[in-house]
Parts: sequence; structure tokens; C-alpha cells
Amino acid sequence: MTDRADHTHLPPSTDAEIRGMIRRAGLNLSEELMQQFIAAWPGYEAMIRRLPRDRAYTAEPAHIFQPTRLLP
Amino acid sequence: MDVAFLTIAELGKLYRQRELSPVEVTKALLDRIARHDAKLRSFLLVTEGVALAEAAEAERAQMAGALRGPMHGIPYALKDIIETAGIRTTGHSKLRQDYVPAADADIVTRLKAAGGVLMGKLATWEFALGGPSFDLPWPPARNPWNTDHLPGGSSSGAGASVAAGFVPGAVGTDTGGSVRGPAAFCGLAGIKPSYGRISRRGVFPNTFSMDHCGPLTRSAEDIALFLQSIAGYDPQDPGSENLPVPDYAAELAGGIKGMRLGLVEGWHTDPGAHPDLAAAIGEAVGVLRDLGAEIVPVRLSSLRDYTDCKTTISSVELYSIHEHDLKTRPQDFGRILRNRVLPGALITGQDYMAALRWRSELAREQATALQQVDAFITAGALTVADRANPEAPDRFAQTPSITMPFSVAGTPAIAIPCGFSQAERLPLSLQIAAAPFDEARVLRIAHAYQQVTTWHRRHPTLA
Repeated sequence: MTDRADHTHLPPSTDAEIRGMIRRAGLNLSEELMQQFIAAWPGYEAMIRRLPRDRAYTAEPAHIFQPTRLLP
Repeated sequence: MDVAFLTIAELGKLYRQRELSPVEVTKALLDRIARHDAKLRSFLLVTEGVALAEAAEAERAQMAGALRGPMHGIPYALKDIIETAGIRTTGHSKLRQDYVPAADADIVTRLKAAGGVLMGKLATWEFALGGPSFDLPWPPARNPWNTDHLPGGSSSGAGASVAAGFVPGAVGTDTGGSVRGPAAFCGLAGIKPSYGRISRRGVFPNTFSMDHCGPLTRSAEDIALFLQSIAGYDPQDPGSENLPVPDYAAELAGGIKGMRLGLVEGWHTDPGAHPDLAAAIGEAVGVLRDLGAEIVPVRLSSLRDYTDCKTTISSVELYSIHEHDLKTRPQDFGRILRNRVLPGALITGQDYMAALRWRSELAREQATALQQVDAFITAGALTVADRANPEAPDRFAQTPSITMPFSVAGTPAIAIPCGFSQAERLPLSLQIAAAPFDEARVLRIAHAYQQVTTWHRRHPTLA
């Protein structure tokens, strides 16, 4: 496995930033639900920051479209 | 005759010999469920009327010498995200607690055609993800080996009901391990087939690109028989593959002499693994070696890598499924499901694409390794079944999964029992995976192991 470029160097989101992201996503959570999510989000944020980012231009994703699969 | 722990193969033989009838078996199992399931909560709904009617129909066929195949007259149950026409299908959620589908899932249509006997709908983590949850309309299922423990998930009721001797087989679904996990924690065989082997039509989605249906039974032989009845192309499922379905039972025999089996280094010896797991896997590997297989070490990316890739993809796809309900009635979700799906709202398109490009690389890594070995060997679970604890913190995103690698690659993988932990006396599990659409090889290896071991013949005693 080669050294990878990822986003683990970025600082964690603050509670205010998390609230802002939730609002901008169009979600309206009560304070109780928001507090639960603020507690849950750091684990997910750390996960997406570990995703390797440095790819060759031609590295294909795993969901390439196959129109024949949608023929009636 | 106590029919509770007869396998599908054994029941089929007794049916053909007319030593047992589907109605006798169905009535005995319905009685067993009535006596014991209050403690296990594996069923959300027992379909007694349907079961007895289907059993009677199967018995007429039996008397006419017209049994259709290995599942004819065999009682089974379905994870309650699999739609059944006219029968409530809840997802174990307040959001769908009164939902009655108009049509059967494709897998149900196939099981009806095969003559199976539907015993009921089973407990699941909320929408196959949110669990174990204690804040839903129904409590979580419990583990028959020790009811202070849980059966794993998300196909929790499937694991509990088969282990308890309520049904010889059940259908679960597996996105990241939800068939294999309960199989591992309940001492059962459970397979996640190749992506596209079994139709997803009529099954509430979790991750469109990683959802699989799969049976849980008490042996690899039974998996082969069950799989035969439900595998096949469905043109209405865009993920379904139009490939022939082999005769899985016919390919079970033949042994594994000369096979090269790749023991994945670093996975089952993860720091979070149960202290007894390494020895149990070591013993299982010894058995496979004694059967004539060559065991070679294989190095793949870490469980952390596979888990991060899978969970990123899943989170986004899950959010797309539940977005409307999260925006209009978030309070009606269980806490665990809500907080496992909401992250998808904040994961960007770039994050999702990074995970999808990584998925291609990880799947290719396994395909390359499978050019050197015939199958991979690892554990079916890193731990034993968790204790039931409503206060337990949710560490879903943080905990590396030993089942997710084969979800990412879309390859067939089976979990089978390989021992018991010393302290808790709970099942330990072996996992075998192979190339896409090589379920026959996976089953052959598992069957060979089970021909010389007896872990799969142990059953819990229900009080």
C-alpha cells in the first residue's frame, strides 16, 4: 500500500459548524436530536477524512453507468 | 420425533420417504415458537394461517409424489424488510408499522414457487441498519445461546429463529455483514452471495450498490439447497446478473484436496478480536489443511480501509433513501438509525466519489489475489455476541468490520461455526470467500469442513 493523501490533517468541526451544516442540508432537528447528532458526527467525519484522495485522472469509480441494464 | 433441529436436507429426505409430513413439521414448529419466542422476540409476526395452508398444499403434493424440490414443504421465515403481499412488512420501524405491501418481493415469489412454507416475519435492526435498538415499537431479538446477549444484526430475528429451532432456514439481507454477523453470533451458516445473484426487488433498500439477500441455515448443505430456490436473474432488478445458476448441491462433494486457500493476514488477529478467536481460526485452518488444502498467507488492505470505504458509500445511499422522512419526521426514527443515516447529508459528492474510486481499487486487489488462491479464509466475526445493553454507545463508524471487505468486492462469502469462546460459551465463526459467482466453491469448502467437524450440530437449550 502506498502513502496516501487524505484529509486527516484538517481540524474537527466545531459544534456550531455541525449545526450550520445540518441547517444547510435542509434538516430541522430538535435540540435533543441535534445534540445526539453532534455526538455521532465526529466518528463519521474522521472516517471521510481518512479516504484516500490522490488518484490518477483515469481511476474509475465503481458505479459506471450501463444503459443496457435499464432497457425495458 | 423432535423436528426442531432437523436440517432442510434431512426434512426433504423424510418427506420423500413419507416418514414426516409438512403439516406435522409446521405444527410442531408453530408450537415451539409459541412456547419459546416470548423470550427471544425473533418474530414480529407469525403467519400461522398462511403456514398451515402452504403446509397442507405441500402435503397434497407429497402424497401425489409431486414434491417440487429441496424447499418444498420446508418452513422458513423472512426478515421484515422483505415484502410479502397482504402481510405487514414493517422494517421494524415506527415509520412503517402499518405498511402492507401489495406485491411479493421476487425472492418470495420464488420461495412460493418452490413450495416453501412461510412461518412469519422476523425482527431486524430498524431498516436493516439501526440496531440493536431498544426504542422501537418492538424490542430487539435475543440470542438463544444466552438471552442476556444479542444475536447480532441486522438479520437479528433470522439468526435467533434458526438457532432456536423455530425454522430450519430464514432469509436475511447483507449489506456490510447482516447475514454473516448473525450467523457468526448464533452458530449458524449464513451466506452473502455475489452481488446480483439474488434479486433485490421488493426488499427495502439499505445501500443500492451493496445490498444482497442471503439465507441462514444450520449447515452449508442447507445453504446450497436454499440458495438453489432463490438465486437467478431478475430483469426488473438493475443489479441482477443474467448468469446460469449451478446445481449447488451437486457441487458440494469432491472435497478440497489441492485447493489453495488464502488466510488473510492481520484481519482475525485485529487488536479488537476476541482472545479465543486466533486459536479457533488456527484449528479450523488445521482441519482444512488435513483435508488436503494448501494454506497460504495473503495480505489485503486493512479492515479499517474496507470499513471506511463501505460506510462512506452506504451513508450517502442511505440518506438518499430516508431523506424525506428525516426532513419531515426525524423524531420517529430510532436513535441509532437516525444517527447512522444523518451523516449521509453532510458527506460531499467528492467524498462519495473518493470512496467509489477506492472501491474499484479494493475490489481489484481481491480479484488479483484470487488469481493466486482459490478462496480467502478469515473469521466470520471478530468478537462474540454482544450483551444486550440499551446504554451501549454506538461505535458503528469507528469499529472495523471483518465482513465488509467482501461486501465492497461483491464476492460470495459464507460464515460457519468453528468453535465456542471459553468464558462466554458463545459461538465463534469462520468465513470463506471466493471469486464472484463462485458460490459453489465457497459452499464446497464449508461443506468439507462440516463433514469432519460437529460445531454446526450443537444447539442451544431453550429454557
